[in-house]
Amino acid sequence: MGFVWHIAVRYFRSTRADAHIRALSTLTAGGLAVGTAALVLALAALAGFQNLLLEDLARHTPALQIEFGRGAAVEGESATEGARHLAELAAATNGVAGVQELLYARGWLADDDRPLAVEVLGYEKAPPPWIPVQPEATSGLIVPVSVALRMGLAVGDIVRVVSPRPGLTPVGPRPRVRTLPVDLIYRSDRAENADDPVLLPLEQASALFARGDRRLDLTLAPEADPERIGDFLRRGIDPAVAMVTTWRQANRALLFVLRLEKGLVFSAVALIVAVASFALLAALSMVLSSKRAEVGVLAAMGAPPARLQRVFLLLGALLSVGGAGLGGAAGAGLAALLDRYRVISTPSDVYVVDYVPFLVRGTDVLVVLAVTVLFTAAAAVIGARKASLLHPVEAMRSART
Amino acid sequence: MIAVSGVTKAYQDGAVRRQVLRGVDLVVARGETAAIVGPSGSGKSTLLNILGALDTPDAGSVRVDGVDLTASRPSALAGFRNRSLGFVFQFHQLLPDFTALENVMMPGRIAGRPTSSLSALALALLDQVGLADRAGAFPQQLSGGERQRIAICRALVLEPAVLLADEPTGNLDSRSGEQVLGLLDTLRRRRDTTMVLVTHNPEVAKRCGAVLRLDGGSLAPG
Ligand SMILES: Nc1ncnc2c1ncn2[C@@H]1O[C@H](COP(=O)(O)OP(=O)(O)OP(=O)(O)O)[C@@H](O)[C@H]1O
Ligand SMILES: [Mg+2]
Repeated sequence: MGFVWHIAVRYFRSTRADAHIRALSTLTAGGLAVGTAALVLALAALAGFQNLLLEDLARHTPALQIEFGRGAAVEGESATEGARHLAELAAATNGVAGVQELLYARGWLADDDRPLAVEVLGYEKAPPPWIPVQPEATSGLIVPVSVALRMGLAVGDIVRVVSPRPGLTPVGPRPRVRTLPVDLIYRSDRAENADDPVLLPLEQASALFARGDRRLDLTLAPEADPERIGDFLRRGIDPAVAMVTTWRQANRALLFVLRLEKGLVFSAVALIVAVASFALLAALSMVLSSKRAEVGVLAAMGAPPARLQRVFLLLGALLSVGGAGLGGAAGAGLAALLDRYRVISTPSDVYVVDYVPFLVRGTDVLVVLAVTVLFTAAAAVIGARKASLLHPVEAMRSART
Repeated sequence: MIAVSGVTKAYQDGAVRRQVLRGVDLVVARGETAAIVGPSGSGKSTLLNILGALDTPDAGSVRVDGVDLTASRPSALAGFRNRSLGFVFQFHQLLPDFTALENVMMPGRIAGRPTSSLSALALALLDQVGLADRAGAFPQQLSGGERQRIAICRALVLEPAVLLADEPTGNLDSRSGEQVLGLLDTLRRRRDTTMVLVTHNPEVAKRCGAVLRLDGGSLAPG
């Protein structure tokens, strides 16, 4: 144990002897404990919530999508050929696990009397993953419950799907119509289900809605990085023809809000740590002023100013580390318990889960510790500086009067 | 050795300027002991602080153990104090958070000496002033005379080339005083230590090679 430790540890013990210093050092440790615990807990709650949100998002948004409307057709190509072209390019890309073409359009659904305007989604291989039941490929319609209720539809009913653009025939314009059975009714798990689409196989959809918006949804290999593959595809695709969007770009606004929320909560709760750091500065200043004469003696015996400063830096660390460590551990433990036993519940009809989930992330805990160290170190540096500026004779005189 | 010439020092007390030292000259050869006597408030402690590189004179030159104190940087002076000087402060200035033994060891800890040999050395010193059994006591548990003897052991533990002692026997009965003076004699013989003692005790002054009286801001043979 070197000189600096020797002195700092003894001064640390002496903080219990003086009532004022004891109060301040308790305030420091307690404040840091509460602050770090609150930070870890708040971040865990946010991470738990945001994690759910992102999982939900990942189910609804493909890792990568290529939108091209009708534009993919190079001269002389049909829209279908243009789409196949892009799909082949995408499928041949490293890290792409699957490609599916989708077509979005607006149309009508009609039974005997009442046509209803609906969103239509044509799928090439399988309905997208946010359709809760994964049916084996059907050749008929998959209808959202909202539409089924309004039209009084049940599985097995036959309905007509009508395109808003009539087909031109030698005998004049005739509406494009397909008559299809309702194969399945689904309830989407999306919070906003007002415009859940009616799904039908792509061939049917293309025949009806030749001018709908086409899109390729790409699924990626588990390790693949959407941004990298997105960049790669962008280099190979004429931007006038198609637009490559990663799920991050597609959800830019939401992701920004999530980050902002996290930043604001973190800053607000970090104020507790800031206040505790002020208490640390006060505690260090009080220890120093009560030890002025002794620090003067140490200086007189040849302890260099820098080492005396280090004594008080270390004292600051000793006063902080217990509280911060305990708080961090308590916060993480509490978060784990709250998550494990689903202690805090929310009304189940508001969101996908009926409890507040907590997720303790290693990086979050590290950030909390880093911020705590930063604040306390700043306080300790300011407090300790005075130790190095003491004039030994003046300091020793102060003890006698 | 110590060589001081033309040292002046004044304190500013609010609007009043107190000229404490008005041209002090002093030479103490290596291995010699000088006693400084003088009335209270005459500036004896002030002079000792200047000799010990704890305070700077307003004018004059101070050489101690080959080092020009007025020309050295503060960081260099800290090392010099630790290596070459032993201090006995007028008011003991023991560290209350440390035991008697730890107080005696402290200059060695600052110097980075290994603790085991250091504590053996410190214990031997405490034994020589009759305080071996008080090694574990804290300063508050000790009498004034005991504290003073511990302060002297602390000044001697690194066997300094120069010892500056402000009334080292002030609180001591004759037997303890004798022990302390014996200790100083031993150090002088072993290390050829140069000493400056401030004392009010004529018996102590008589045993020193030179006696100087500080009065009116300058030194004169006493
Ligand atoms: N920091 C200071 N500020 C103002 N005046 C001071 C200061 N230090 C010492 N003095 C004054 O300088 C004078 C000399 O003080 P010093 O302590 O050197 O006296 P001394 O000879 O050691 O006295 P004593 O025998 O009582 O210890 C005193 O009048 C004291 O009041
Ligand atoms: Mg004095």
